[in-house]
Amino acid sequence: MQQGQAIIERIRRISAGVQRLELAVEKPHQAISGGQFFLARTDSAYGPYLREAWLPIAVRENVVIVERPTRYAYLPNQVIDLLGPIGRPFPLRSSARTLLLIAYEATPAIFLLMLQSALARQCAATLVLIGQARRYPFEALPPALEVTLAEYHERWAEREQQIAWADQIFAAAPPPYDIPAYLRLLEDVQRIRQAIGPETLYGVFQPPMPCGIGACQACLVRLQSGDEMLACIDGLAFDLTRVNLLQNLPNSPGA
Amino acid sequence: MLEITAGKSALRLSRPVIGASGAFGFASEYSKLIDLSLLGALVTNPISLRPRRAAHSTRVVPLDGGVLIHTGLPNSGIHKMHRQYAAKWRASPIPIIMHLIGSADDLAECAIFLDQQSEVAAIELGINDTLTAREVRAVVATVRARTQLPLLAKLPLYQAVNVAAAAVDGGANALVIAAPPRGTARDPLSGQLVGGRLYGTWLKPLVLRLVGQLAMRLDVPLIGCGGVHHPDDVRDFLEAGARAIQLDSVVWARPEMVTAIAQAFSVGELTRMAGALADEWRAIGEPAERRTQLLLAPPPPSMPSPPEI
Repeated sequence: MQQGQAIIERIRRISAGVQRLELAVEKPHQAISGGQFFLARTDSAYGPYLREAWLPIAVRENVVIVERPTRYAYLPNQVIDLLGPIGRPFPLRSSARTLLLIAYEATPAIFLLMLQSALARQCAATLVLIGQARRYPFEALPPALEVTLAEYHERWAEREQQIAWADQIFAAAPPPYDIPAYLRLLEDVQRIRQAIGPETLYGVFQPPMPCGIGACQACLVRLQSGDEMLACIDGLAFDLTRVNLLQNLPNSPGA
Repeated sequence: MLEITAGKSALRLSRPVIGASGAFGFASEYSKLIDLSLLGALVTNPISLRPRRAAHSTRVVPLDGGVLIHTGLPNSGIHKMHRQYAAKWRASPIPIIMHLIGSADDLAECAIFLDQQSEVAAIELGINDTLTAREVRAVVATVRARTQLPLLAKLPLYQAVNVAAAAVDGGANALVIAAPPRGTARDPLSGQLVGGRLYGTWLKPLVLRLVGQLAMRLDVPLIGCGGVHHPDDVRDFLEAGARAIQLDSVVWARPEMVTAIAQAFSVGELTRMAGALADEWRAIGEPAERRTQLLLAPPPPSMPSPPEI
């Protein structure tokens, strides 16, 4: 974890809603892995007060590419203050050969850096874009990635086979997280596979992170064991069989 | 050097800049980004007698120039926290102040426990904002009777004027003005109104005035806390009568400013920017009462209005 500056070298709009920023970053920030992210500040004033989470989708020598919505305006040569890398890399098992990635109503950008290394070692990966996620410009995705579009969570072709065969399943939802979607997925995976082994089913949790360093304790995720883990330290991916999903529901009475 | 004494024990701050409770973690979390030895002391996140779990609802609402946070003050209780962090506190290059929360009985039990340990240099009591002045006096006196450690009372912003004297009567050796005030904001994600503690740049004028008012009334070290984001903010607090300041959310927003602020006060001198008014220069060498009068006084009638743009 380091604080440092990055410079926007290039801005490329890949769709009406998505732009990619190529950032020249300092050395410590080049060592970022899939699932990790930066907390970024675009100016020296305090608006916005908290830093924004920037998810890298690719790393090329001293350049890190991040995706941002086009509703935010950036300029070439703009200096960005970065804090990171934050969080743990996605726990991709070395033995994993088939990956199922599910984006519920959310950009799949969070998976792309992990995909870079997974595809490089010949993993077969399927990405399911559900609901609003179907609007993502999938022509910008790696050609080796199999992409499936689904209107609803429960309906997409070969869904049961893909859940049954995947060595690991990762699901992402719009921040902070979508507990009902994760609950449905957990139930489906339990029903289809009978038993879920460890390190098999992960959900992405992205609560707001004021500090990103484990100090403010605003991003705690509750586990079945009664323990709590910090999304900024132990996340963003949490094993859904270990998370107490009901107690992470906003305003859940049982919490 | 600021020294806050309680009988034979003393909290010595080499610099008037302290890491505030709730912002810096329980020990050395920020050592990856900041040279913590530049600070005068570090206050731990709130610690209670028994374990507390994180809040289950929305915990963060971003605001213009600030943030609302409701964590639930999670911690695993003083005994487990001590086991977990004692080595880090011992290795800390600066004094550790433990921020305690809870009922009077819980606080008393925590104080007895801490009095037998060596890692903590002082106690900061989080004074609940529902307590009356009489209750504040009783709570502080209860803890005071059970520990030899210097005792700081962190007062609620809206009640500070009413309870400050009571906290001093109860035995507080210094007052921290003030705890982040409570507020309510609409969470853009859930659409619900949520309550929590407020942090941000706009707190400074509120707290600064309060420090000035209390500095006139009380003869006890005051520590300003709220909205400090720049070395000039520290100068303003010291000029208003504070002996030190606590930094909170600036460490999240701009960690590098913590270093800049601490380094600006490395020699313990209060300096003014070039172009400061003559009154401001004179005020620095004058007693706190005079300084505060200057601070709180309305502008003289002859003062020219700022030009309209």
